[in-house]
Amino acid sequence: MDKKLFEKSKKIEKITFIFDILAIIAYIALFLILFNLLELPPVVDGRMNLDILQFMTPTYEFLGSTLDKWQMNSIISIIIIFMVVNIPMLAVNMKRNSTKTIYEINSYSAASKFVQAVINLLSFNIVSAVLRTYNTFITIKFVKGYNVKEFFKSIIPAIKNTIAKRKAKRAQVIEDNADDYSSSLKKNIRRQTTIHTFRLLGTYLFLVLMALIIIIPFYWMVLTSLKDFTGATTNNPEFYIGISRWNWINYKVVLTELNFGLYIKNTVIVAVFSTVGTIITTILAAYAFARIEFKGRELLFSILIMTMMIPGELYIITNFITVSKNGLGWVGMPTGQNQYFLAMIIPFVTSISYIFFLRQNFKQIPESLYKAARVDGCSDFKYLTRVMVPIASPTIFTITILNVFSSWNAYIWPRIITGVGGQEGQNYWLISNALRDTAFVQEGGKVMYNLQIAASALVTVPLLIVFFAFRKYIMNGIGRSGTKG
Amino acid sequence: MGNLFKNAKRFLIKIGNVIKNIFWNIRRILNNYKRKISNFLDKKRLNPAGKFPGWAKALLYLSPALIVLAIFTFWPIINSFALVVYENYNMSNNTITGYTLFGNFIRVLTDESFIVPASHTASSAVINTLIIVFISVPISIFLALAISVALNSIKPLKSFFQTIYFLPYVTNTIAIGLVFAYMFKTDGGLVNEFLSFFGIQTDGLSWVESNAVYWRSMFVLIFYSIWASLAFKIMVFLTSIQGIDKQYYQAAAIDATPKGRIFSKITVPLISPMIFYITVTSVIGAFKIYNAIVALFGVTGAPPGVSYNLQSIVMYIYQFIDGSNAGNLSVAAAGSLILFAIILVLTIVQMQVSKKRVHY
Repeated sequence: MDKKLFEKSKKIEKITFIFDILAIIAYIALFLILFNLLELPPVVDGRMNLDILQFMTPTYEFLGSTLDKWQMNSIISIIIIFMVVNIPMLAVNMKRNSTKTIYEINSYSAASKFVQAVINLLSFNIVSAVLRTYNTFITIKFVKGYNVKEFFKSIIPAIKNTIAKRKAKRAQVIEDNADDYSSSLKKNIRRQTTIHTFRLLGTYLFLVLMALIIIIPFYWMVLTSLKDFTGATTNNPEFYIGISRWNWINYKVVLTELNFGLYIKNTVIVAVFSTVGTIITTILAAYAFARIEFKGRELLFSILIMTMMIPGELYIITNFITVSKNGLGWVGMPTGQNQYFLAMIIPFVTSISYIFFLRQNFKQIPESLYKAARVDGCSDFKYLTRVMVPIASPTIFTITILNVFSSWNAYIWPRIITGVGGQEGQNYWLISNALRDTAFVQEGGKVMYNLQIAASALVTVPLLIVFFAFRKYIMNGIGRSGTKG
Repeated sequence: MGNLFKNAKRFLIKIGNVIKNIFWNIRRILNNYKRKISNFLDKKRLNPAGKFPGWAKALLYLSPALIVLAIFTFWPIINSFALVVYENYNMSNNTITGYTLFGNFIRVLTDESFIVPASHTASSAVINTLIIVFISVPISIFLALAISVALNSIKPLKSFFQTIYFLPYVTNTIAIGLVFAYMFKTDGGLVNEFLSFFGIQTDGLSWVESNAVYWRSMFVLIFYSIWASLAFKIMVFLTSIQGIDKQYYQAAAIDATPKGRIFSKITVPLISPMIFYITVTSVIGAFKIYNAIVALFGVTGAPPGVSYNLQSIVMYIYQFIDGSNAGNLSVAAAGSLILFAIILVLTIVQMQVSKKRVHY
């Protein structure tokens, strides 16, 4: 156990992180540059001529070399694959390093480092690959006491050893196949094992089949979004296409010509403000219901709970009257005087179900903490922000994510709000409205399915990224709350 | 030079102290006044905080939420009861022609496409919704139960499968609905391609496009709603199955109980409260189905060129909301109150049954 080796390995790991981050920044920058270079079809009569989109064969000048359309597609695809592999890898590594106080060093971590080094090498991140390989050997030296040479020498004997062990085991089994009783017992055991294996096989088959049904729409979405128009509408669709034919231009058209950049911006604005509002109001209200004693607290709370039963459709009709001309005057006014964002945000800055959820959480925090804080001269608000919120932070985080999801998926209220605004209202569409109401139809009734599905993918992928990043919080939150957010 | 630097530093510290002192003094004076005022109020028995202990503080914390809730939750409830009794409410100039007690309800209930099927078709909003509820809810609950039991019985790859099954929960209903509509396309759709792989004639087999038969469109809708709702159910069932005491299973294993009987005599009875809760909530959810229909069939709720309609109750309500015709909003309010009544009955049933506890 050499302490120096341990320190060295730790230091190298940190340096590798820096190069990993640099590589990811390089990938992102390269992707943005290339994506910007992609040539859009010319504009005819104020509308982009999407009919010729798939027949264009532009050439691109990049770093002194000339690339045709297919090479460009391939390069972008490869960069995106690199990003998809490397960013989660970095995130997992960072998480492991920040959550564990002890730097792990064992034969498992050596193997994982080696695999990561190979991945680094494949994604042209040579510095990280070299550092990781070096670190692998340091780890092996630390754990097993081998040098590099000795390690390579020890591989073949180790494999031979394992095979010999297995052979010996089998020989042993055949050997004591002697008396009658034990052989019948063995038969029984074998039968049971077969049944068990078949059952397990059946279970896995069922699970895989259901998983395929779940996953196929996602696969089909991503695949179609990268096809060209002919590929998306042909009678014999392909189930796989090579990377040189992944048309990233579809996404560029959706973002620019079909205005999805604007719609995503609108949605982010609405999601951020309504979530911040929801968090503030629900924390304050839940605190009042959980800790402050006042007459009629239970009555007020049960009234709130009862309103949860009322379907949202009832509110939407009358809320529409409230925000329109005869009420607050946020929508339905002459062009230029409308406040679409206010109308889309303010009704959703609080939520009874989240107040309920958070109150349950606050109630579990022991009362003695509150008394101790009061004795030390801590005011209520300070106690809330310094003690309650940090303790309940996982719940608050779950609420945040669920609220962002629900504003990302909001459809009917934004549709009604922007629907009364006519042409002006279109600039305030959120993504769900835009997906449903954008005309993906060209002249002659051709539906641009590849663009429509690309827009769908553009809406779905951020959700999936957030989900994979915070999987534990979201799934635990749903399991515990038992209510749909 | 060093001396100058030292002096400057000392000077800065002094200024800082002066500022700090000023703040402390202000605070002290304010506290003094606060104490004096509260003493005075206590003496005269005027202190509102003393009369209603906690109320002043509670209001401070509750007011942001309560103000928003008052405008956008409590007021709409009152307002919709008002709206229902208006006759010909006109939104553009805020006028009504009179009052009616049941007129709007009668208009909804006797409307051609609400309960009574329209003359030229065989579908109405209520019939459609009931079909969706009674087919999709049982199937999805059985599937979710089967999947969660299967998930609970395996060890390797468990969290991987769990993650995959959870994916539909975090997706946009409209986006994936468009993908489903694309997958069920007549020419070159994935489903037709899949069926023709098994030798089924799929030329012109239309699911969601023109000339689709009612049951085929309904199949797509039900399939999609099951697909979208499985995730939540699996999650809840799995959590409750994992909460079952292991001793029951160990006792069953000693008696060599068949797996089927373990499932029907141990697992299902022990999570029966959860099954019942999920049944009621998903029936309520299925009654409110809207986004899936819009995603698959557009805002009209019907494939192009067909005589029937796949409207649900909620869709029926929302078609009146643009308020272009006088009286439309009252009809919508009446429709939503009817929906509320249905949901209220279901909720009361749930409360009554879960009081007795569905167990064993």
